[in-house]
Amino acid sequence: MSDRESGLLNRLERWGTAAENASLVILLGAMMLLAVGQIVMRLFFNSGFVWADELLKLMVLWIALIASVAASRSNRHLRIDVVSHFVPEKFARLPRLVVDAFAAFICGVLAWHSYRFIELSIEFEDTVLVGVPSWMAHSILPIAFALMSYRFFLSVAGSAIDMLRTKSP
Amino acid sequence: MMILSVVLIVLAVFGAPLFVIIVASAMLGYYKEGIDLMAVAIEVLGIANMPFLSAIPLFTFAGFLLSESSAPKRLVRLTGALLGWMPGGLALVALAASAFFTAFTGASGVTIIALGAILYPALKHDGYPDNFNLGLVTTSGSLGLLFAPSLPLILYGVIAEVSIDNLFRAGILPGLLMLLMLSGYSLWVARGNEKPLTPFSFKELAGALRESIWELPLPIVVLGGIYSGFFAVSEAAAVTALYVLIVEVAILREISPKDLPGVMRESMLLVGGILIILGVSLASTNYMIDAGVPQTLLAIVAEQVSSQASFLILLLLFLRYYVTPRCFYYIAIG
Repeated sequence: MSDRESGLLNRLERWGTAAENASLVILLGAMMLLAVGQIVMRLFFNSGFVWADELLKLMVLWIALIASVAASRSNRHLRIDVVSHFVPEKFARLPRLVVDAFAAFICGVLAWHSYRFIELSIEFEDTVLVGVPSWMAHSILPIAFALMSYRFFLSVAGSAIDMLRTKSP
Repeated sequence: MMILSVVLIVLAVFGAPLFVIIVASAMLGYYKEGIDLMAVAIEVLGIANMPFLSAIPLFTFAGFLLSESSAPKRLVRLTGALLGWMPGGLALVALAASAFFTAFTGASGVTIIALGAILYPALKHDGYPDNFNLGLVTTSGSLGLLFAPSLPLILYGVIAEVSIDNLFRAGILPGLLMLLMLSGYSLWVARGNEKPLTPFSFKELAGALRESIWELPLPIVVLGGIYSGFFAVSEAAAVTALYVLIVEVAILREISPKDLPGVMRESMLLVGGILIILGVSLASTNYMIDAGVPQTLLAIVAEQVSSQASFLILLLLFLRYYVTPRCFYYIAIG
């Protein structure tokens, strides 16, 4: 890999992390304000926005998926990690490569089917909230799974490079 | 099919992310039934159809903020002033403070880190045996599990469609029983401790109260609000998160705004890991219902189990050895 390419990858990495953090901060902040605003409306004005509840639930979906992408980046997904405790590190790399490749594949398939679903939902002109096209709200699905697939793929590439280096010094 | 299922289990044991395994098993099932795999994606959207789920990111965030501030130290001082004069006082302080903090941080394991770091050296200093201290700190980290607003109870309520308020009410007695039994055991361990007892001091209590004046309204608002039914869980979570944010960042200034995105990300990593499993489990659960797995299980259980007592024993064994996020679903369906 040339310096320029790895420089680009590094920059992608930094921008990616920044984008994840920014969206999580905005979503979490908006969620707090919206939910508290809704309570204030209920207590003092005896009213509220009909769309607020649905919007809150969509925000949970976005937070769940974006945070899941972030968890892939920081390698924080829940795993049953028995094998790596018993196997020396040298032999733990190959199983790790296999399971990450599997994860990349499954996330990729799911991203593809999510994308097909979004296409369908554009065609049928489904809506959420008050007349918002539902594909806007649901588009996070293919995006998030595609990004997760990409993360797992990077991790596979990383382990492969590691393994090649140790084999041929 | 059988072979593919075995492959999945092997991949899981070798450390594949759990949500990936669940997605794969759902896809396998749907494929077998000839259902378009698009259905898996649609099921994941079910996350956006669950009531009260916003409580989980909000309470987790509030818990992480609290544990990053000096709130754990203040909590230990306050419980110390209240309980520290009794024999075995410090162990009781550890239990009470942990139960309280765990309930508020949603039993996410944060308690062990936040309070353990303060309590463990203190317990050691007071002459408790080392193994006991380690055990006490780790056990007490899950003590608040049964009290409002613990996240596992919320999660269970949302999935099983059981009233979360009732779950919280049902948790009080067993929770107190656990607390009581552990306290009794701690007193038994501390019986030979010859350290002189520190007398109860009103001055220390007043000082501790004054120090934690900003956090004191929290339990009243959250516990009072939830147990009285004034707030829904998700509303209590939003109020807590916003209040903690204002207090720790703007008033006490123990967390600088600069560090805030980091704390948010850190707390959401945990939330993402849990919610994605919840989302994809919606797909695999629906497949299992379609395939009649719950009925089959129920039939087996009904055939083998005659009395209520043996059912309870089996259930305990099952929970003990099958504690994965999925166990929520089996019980919920059964």
